[in-house]
Amino acid sequence: MQYERNYTMRKALTVAWREFKHTAMTKAFLFGAIVMPLLMMGLFIVVVPLLTESNNTPLVGTVVVLAEDDVLEEITIQIERGNTTLTEVLEKLPDAITNDPIASALLATAPKSDITIIAGNPSELDSIKAQVREGIYKGVIVVPDSTVTQNGNEDKIEIFIPSSFSPNHTDILTSATSRAVVDARLKRLSHNPAAIRDLIRRPRATATRLSNDGAEIQDNEIARRIIPMAFMMLLWIATFTSGQYLLTTTIEEKSNKVMEVLLSAVSPMQLLGGKILGQAGVSAVILLMYGSAVMAGLLAFALGDLVPVLHLVLFAIYFVIAYFMIATIMAAVGSAVNELRDAQSLMGPIMLVMVIPMIIWPVLSEHPNGMLATITSFTPPLLPFVMILRVTASTEPIAIWQIVLSIGVGIVSVVAMIWMCARIFRIGVLMQGKPPSILQLAKWIRQG
Amino acid sequence: MSIAIDLTNVSKAFGETRAVNDLNLQIPEGSMCGFLGPNGAGKSTTIRMIMSIIHADQGDIQVLGATALASKDRIGYLPEERGVYRKMKVLQFVEYIANLKGMYGASLRKTIRTWLERIELPEVENKKCEELSKGMQQKVQFLAAIIHDPELIILDEPFSGLDPMNAQVIGSIIHDLHAEGKTILFSTHVLHQAEQICDRIIMIDQGYKVLDGSLASIQAQFDPRVLTIEPVDSSANFTSLPGVESVSAGKTNTSFNLRITNNADPATVLQEIVAKVPVLSARVAKPSLDEIFIEQVVRSRGSEAADAVRTELHHA
Repeated sequence: MQYERNYTMRKALTVAWREFKHTAMTKAFLFGAIVMPLLMMGLFIVVVPLLTESNNTPLVGTVVVLAEDDVLEEITIQIERGNTTLTEVLEKLPDAITNDPIASALLATAPKSDITIIAGNPSELDSIKAQVREGIYKGVIVVPDSTVTQNGNEDKIEIFIPSSFSPNHTDILTSATSRAVVDARLKRLSHNPAAIRDLIRRPRATATRLSNDGAEIQDNEIARRIIPMAFMMLLWIATFTSGQYLLTTTIEEKSNKVMEVLLSAVSPMQLLGGKILGQAGVSAVILLMYGSAVMAGLLAFALGDLVPVLHLVLFAIYFVIAYFMIATIMAAVGSAVNELRDAQSLMGPIMLVMVIPMIIWPVLSEHPNGMLATITSFTPPLLPFVMILRVTASTEPIAIWQIVLSIGVGIVSVVAMIWMCARIFRIGVLMQGKPPSILQLAKWIRQG
Repeated sequence: MSIAIDLTNVSKAFGETRAVNDLNLQIPEGSMCGFLGPNGAGKSTTIRMIMSIIHADQGDIQVLGATALASKDRIGYLPEERGVYRKMKVLQFVEYIANLKGMYGASLRKTIRTWLERIELPEVENKKCEELSKGMQQKVQFLAAIIHDPELIILDEPFSGLDPMNAQVIGSIIHDLHAEGKTILFSTHVLHQAEQICDRIIMIDQGYKVLDGSLASIQAQFDPRVLTIEPVDSSANFTSLPGVESVSAGKTNTSFNLRITNNADPATVLQEIVAKVPVLSARVAKPSLDEIFIEQVVRSRGSEAADAVRTELHHA
């Protein structure tokens, strides 16, 4: 057995390891921070397609058409063109998805319909309907000739289907019939529907930004809108989740009266340092977990180049600044109160400030170099959240001096906040009774 | 003999309240010292300063020949307010506290298991602390206070909340630790407990030290106002005897305690009683710590304050 004395760092690391172990290596954390998100992702990836599988079964059978011959022929053509609904959906999707090999492969596996179109006699409509009910036919389409004539939009096309017919299959018939009627109209006027369709197809416009250094960067909607928000959210979730743990474990140590036992072995600063270090590990685990999931998603859709390495490096720097700001605040609040509900009154004003980036992010994202964005990116404790948003949202690189200045202000703020919160912590951990007001906390800072 | 705890002119105030006033204390190594006083006397504040949990406003504190902070790992401390990590297993909790006290190594768990058997909790190592009864939690916390084999052990109300059986177990361990040469500072406001086990007494009141010395020397300092008489005839009447102020029942069925008047000499009154009434035994009673403390309060704060302290002591 070995005695180790006066090893300040070793004591802080002992506290840190306990803090990490009893937060991140628990069933509650595994369930809340890992299993739940995985379950949610699994729900979208596996369960939702399974639940909608019935809609994807191909439409197979015979459909009776009561229409003129040219219309019937057009309906047959449209049905044979395959799943027209799928074609329409594909046309609406952005290039990023339609060009993606995985997405294309998935779309290629979409089921195809196998429908036989036969002509029917309009006078036998009732008996055909009866046969549809009995399942002999999949449906009957009634197209009055007036709908094909130039001014015949007032008459309706009617499609009779069984009560159990799925919405997807209904779409196939309605979409094919509508297109067929339009094509029949055009042909009656001696036009070529395919040529006209090609003529009226709207070309896709892409914006390319010309930067001052001569480079041309293609504008990307996803990169411009979603990624900055994702970066900021990730920073927020990672820091506030572990900050919340720090708050509750500190309150627990006070309310369980174990604080005095701890302080008989370590100094308040060793305890505070250890706790912050331990929860930094928790925060890093959350960040890596969600961050790698996001990156894996981007890489899977061949969008990895939307997140340059420089952004990841800056993200890591701003994460450290954000974590220490939030952690010191949470530890100070936790040390000052005896119960979680007492913390609410102190957390109220703090949260009011901290949610500002979440509220103004659309403005910041749209004008990343605007006055509001610039000022808030130098204002602690908002600066790490705002600056990472600016860095990732801006179409032009943020001036280096602004990044360096914000990091400098961030580091100075972290040191100042550690100093203030340490003074509150030193007094707060031994305080019992009524929770202090903000003014009393300021007094503690002066006394400490 | 070297000094384990040396406080020189130590004072501490919280806002307007002065918790400790110009306190001087020297506790020799190897002593079993009772640190006594009513609630709010300043005991816990003094102990927290000795443990460097809080710092003195003025004065000097030396513990085991070094500063309080430097000696932290050589002190075992059981605070008055008991606390454990509710969700932690007993073995993990004691191991964690031992680690914080600088104790590591492969044999640590074996040592903890041996001690768990000694405090008669051999089956609880894998139980969560919240699953234990309050008394069991208290024993676990006592173990956490001494597991690192400290040279100085500070126990703040170690028996409060323990049933007689468990109090005996802990009392026996304290006795053994003292026999091994450990210095023990035993804080309590239950004065007769200290009277039974301590060889030295320090008493404070309102932040001031009011008594300091061995039990015998303290008892000798106080003029005894009570005579304990065991008469041959239990119906004997003492009230009419000169110098006797009042009579009350003694500790045994056949004895009486006679309080004598303030101006009478105890030895003279005793001689007169023995001359007039046949007795089996007669002696000048040693004042109890309760009586000494109340007497001290009367001297410093007046009889009204003494009544309040007397009530508090009776409720302890």
